[in-house]
Amino acid sequence: MNRIEFMTELAALLQDIPVVERQEAMKYYNDYFDDAGEENEHQVVEELESPAKVAATIKADLNIPEEERKNGIYGEYSETGYRDTRFEKKNVPVGRTVQSEENRYQESGGYQYHTGQYQEAESGGSYGGEEPPKTNSALKIVLIIAIILIGAPVIFPVALAAAVVVFVCVLAAFLIFLSVVIASVAVAITGIVLFCTGIMALIPEIAVGLALIGTGLILSVLGTIGTIAGVKLCIVVFPGIIRGIVWICRKPFHGKAVA
Amino acid sequence: MVFNTGAALLDAIVLAVVSQEEEGTYGYKITQDVRKAIDVSESTLYPVLRRLQKDECLEVYDRQFDGRNRRYYKTTDKGMIQLNLYRTEWKNYSEKINELFEGGVTV
Repeated sequence: MNRIEFMTELAALLQDIPVVERQEAMKYYNDYFDDAGEENEHQVVEELESPAKVAATIKADLNIPEEERKNGIYGEYSETGYRDTRFEKKNVPVGRTVQSEENRYQESGGYQYHTGQYQEAESGGSYGGEEPPKTNSALKIVLIIAIILIGAPVIFPVALAAAVVVFVCVLAAFLIFLSVVIASVAVAITGIVLFCTGIMALIPEIAVGLALIGTGLILSVLGTIGTIAGVKLCIVVFPGIIRGIVWICRKPFHGKAVA
Repeated sequence: MVFNTGAALLDAIVLAVVSQEEEGTYGYKITQDVRKAIDVSESTLYPVLRRLQKDECLEVYDRQFDGRNRRYYKTTDKGMIQLNLYRTEWKNYSEKINELFEGGVTV
């Protein structure tokens, strides 16, 4: 392990202490490496043993209450260096301490639930460590059922209303765009009709006929343009709306039905 | 050394080492100086320095050295009072021990 690796690991291990403390400690050890010089880098890393030990020493001192510290009951400095029993590895399997703790609870009888339903499972006894999660999931199911029973009269009408609102909004959007197309077609038809009327009117009154023909031509062109634009707009918008609906419908099932 | 160094004695030693430098001194040098007297590992002194700093027995400042900012430790007035207290305590303690060891011949 070199200096950079050491410092990186130390920084990672000190993530759970206050920022000021971390900065102070990092500054100290950074300076320490600088002052020891590059040629001693390896020796310093070796003497510090491990980032874990350094981090533990820093954290331990942050956690010691005032009086205990003054009495110096924790560590001692002997010919072999600093000795602190708290950091010495104990060769006790992790599971054992947990189990002994469990036994303690059972002996003192202080580990009983007051809700009648769960006492049976608890007095069953020899489930060991798997028990707490089991009761948890049972509790969850009960809670879910309760929520459904209590919430049903409220949730279903609300959900129905929401669905209707969404449906109506979508329908309205469809109809707005459809009406644009219809209106454009109507303008075009009006234009054509006016054009025809104009030709008829040419015979008695030339001026009126020409005016009608002109207006008819303009309207029919505008109508045609509007129709084409409207249809194009629908081609763009409708798939979008449909995709949106599909996405909304999919959402509640996301991660289950849809991969 | 067969005798253990308690936390208070370590505090006293660190304060004494730092107080010897008028301008203040830095972590690496403190460690080297302390190690002239007692055998401590390199990771031991940081918590001690940090604690003395929090107790306002030491103050820190950064000064340019070799193109970087080096952190210096300096004893405060409170630190000096504390150190003198330790000195008196140590004097009493060591005199008594000496008396026992050497049959009344104080050093």
